[in-house]
Amino acid sequence: MLALRTRGLGKTFKVKRKEPGLRGSVRSLLRPEWEEKPAVRGIDLTVGQGETVAFLGPNGAGKSTTIKMLTGILHPSFGEAEVLGLSPWKQRSELAYRIGTVFGQKSQLWYHLPPVDTFELIGRVYELKREDYARRSRELIERFELGPYLRTPVRKLSLGERMRCEIAAVFLHRPSLLFLDEPTIGLDVVVKQRIRELIRESNRSEGTTVVLTSHDPTDVEELCSRVVVIHHGGLLLDEPVERMKRDVLNRKTIRLTTASELRESELPLPEGTNAVRKEGRTFTIEVDLGRTAVEDVLGGWIGRVRIEDITVEDPPLEETIKHIYGRRGEKEEGA
Amino acid sequence: MSGGGRLLPRLAAGRRKAAAVARITIRQQLAYRADFALRCSFLLLILFVFVQLWTAAYEGDREAVIGGFTIKQIVWYLVFTEALTMAGSPLAAKVEEEVKNGDIAVRLLRPMSYVGYHYSSYLAEAAVRFVLHLAVGSLIAWPSVGAPDFGFGWLGLFSLSFGAITVAFLLNAAIALCAFWVEETSGLQFVLQKLQFTIGGMLLPVDLMPEWLQRVCAWLPFQASLYLPAKAAVHPDGSSLLASAAIQAAWIAALGALVAYQYRRGARKLHVNGG
Repeated sequence: MLALRTRGLGKTFKVKRKEPGLRGSVRSLLRPEWEEKPAVRGIDLTVGQGETVAFLGPNGAGKSTTIKMLTGILHPSFGEAEVLGLSPWKQRSELAYRIGTVFGQKSQLWYHLPPVDTFELIGRVYELKREDYARRSRELIERFELGPYLRTPVRKLSLGERMRCEIAAVFLHRPSLLFLDEPTIGLDVVVKQRIRELIRESNRSEGTTVVLTSHDPTDVEELCSRVVVIHHGGLLLDEPVERMKRDVLNRKTIRLTTASELRESELPLPEGTNAVRKEGRTFTIEVDLGRTAVEDVLGGWIGRVRIEDITVEDPPLEETIKHIYGRRGEKEEGA
Repeated sequence: MSGGGRLLPRLAAGRRKAAAVARITIRQQLAYRADFALRCSFLLLILFVFVQLWTAAYEGDREAVIGGFTIKQIVWYLVFTEALTMAGSPLAAKVEEEVKNGDIAVRLLRPMSYVGYHYSSYLAEAAVRFVLHLAVGSLIAWPSVGAPDFGFGWLGLFSLSFGAITVAFLLNAAIALCAFWVEETSGLQFVLQKLQFTIGGMLLPVDLMPEWLQRVCAWLPFQASLYLPAKAAVHPDGSSLLASAAIQAAWIAALGALVAYQYRRGARKLHVNGG
């Protein structure tokens, strides 16, 4: 059974073009010039029920626009979509009963009231029976550990606490399809981890289909079984996360600051590493995880290099995307 | 969730949702105590000025009648129109803000009509403020011109106030929904507010206006939101109450159709901002 299917789904925005300065403002007022800006360029996608799919892409790639079209709040410029057997923008209200959506940058909670008041409203709006609402909210409060701040006004909650309430709230009406748009944005590492665990648990215990957008590859690795990379409004890659981890997310970046001046040739670099930059005493080193492990690289430095600071990061998403383009080019040449 | 045969259960569900929105709006309103206090003191100030002004116009004569109104009727008339005017929330500013920062997405994702949501919220807020403003307004009017012993006039006021708030909501909604097309609605909102103040009968009963202006006002919706309920309160009259209710119903139907059309067109081209 399919959770959603799109065919050539796309959106073009009409944007007013304005020259800088006062003269530009006046000209734009008298003779406005419009420019067509494609946000999503015809996406073909199929998601089965119970799948966990990630939309990965840099800012402005078209991830949120796609989610907005699939939830029915944005009318597409062309193409078709079917979500749980319904046309999202034509049957928005009917679809609303069966899907849940969290926008990481927007809140559904009433700012001056405690979360329990919003829960109560949601229970009514989704027409939950009273006893069912009571049972369901108790269950979610327990699972999401909301007890301590359920009666605190939302404005006094931390971002992490608020996000937990936001996600718990979206599960109240038992959606069979969940859209999460950047659910971990702005959260610290520990809270991010907890939110991911909660989403994963809910996917397992309730069989909810999850479509998530993120520009954090760790969200994708830990939550999803399939990844769809969106870039410049189009599908760049659609494959199992395992394969992406092996082929694309197989790099880490180490930033090393030494305590004393060191030449590049003096830094021991094993096979599979590559010093990409040196600024002052800081080296940026790329590690190919397929050929060597981060701990082996670090182990080689201990006792030989005086380390002042060290960080290990995922490469920026733009680099990963460049890598995917490169890999595609190689494939096409080989074919 | 759809289908003609399930109309009654759907209406009942809609009513329950509206009641839930009304309840949470009132709870949220109670958090804005400073705003309440400010509005009430401003109301006291305005009414104090009006009482001074009209006492001078009537030369302190309680029996004198100007344009069919005694000073007592005119002062209480102003209490009612002010209480109604200041009961409304800034709908256009709210919708404009929702469109600009993209929060409209959260509302549109609910299985509830967007306009219906705002109507429930507007009505709840207006009902609470209206009653509060009546109480505060009485503090000035009662000692200055005497008790509001209008008998059936109260029935007229309360029965027409519901329609009045609905007409005011629809007028504001027609402007608020322009935010789906244009960036700024505050200019239109300014014009609407001034029309309500003048030809809506907030500052002066329509009866005291020149004949030709009265004829123009009769064909406009503004009097339905202020003049009709306040006039019904101070000049109770069964047949004109029915006529007033019919005028309100006609305007609610016409403006309701306009707002529904605007929403349908607007939702199709709405650009929901923000990531």
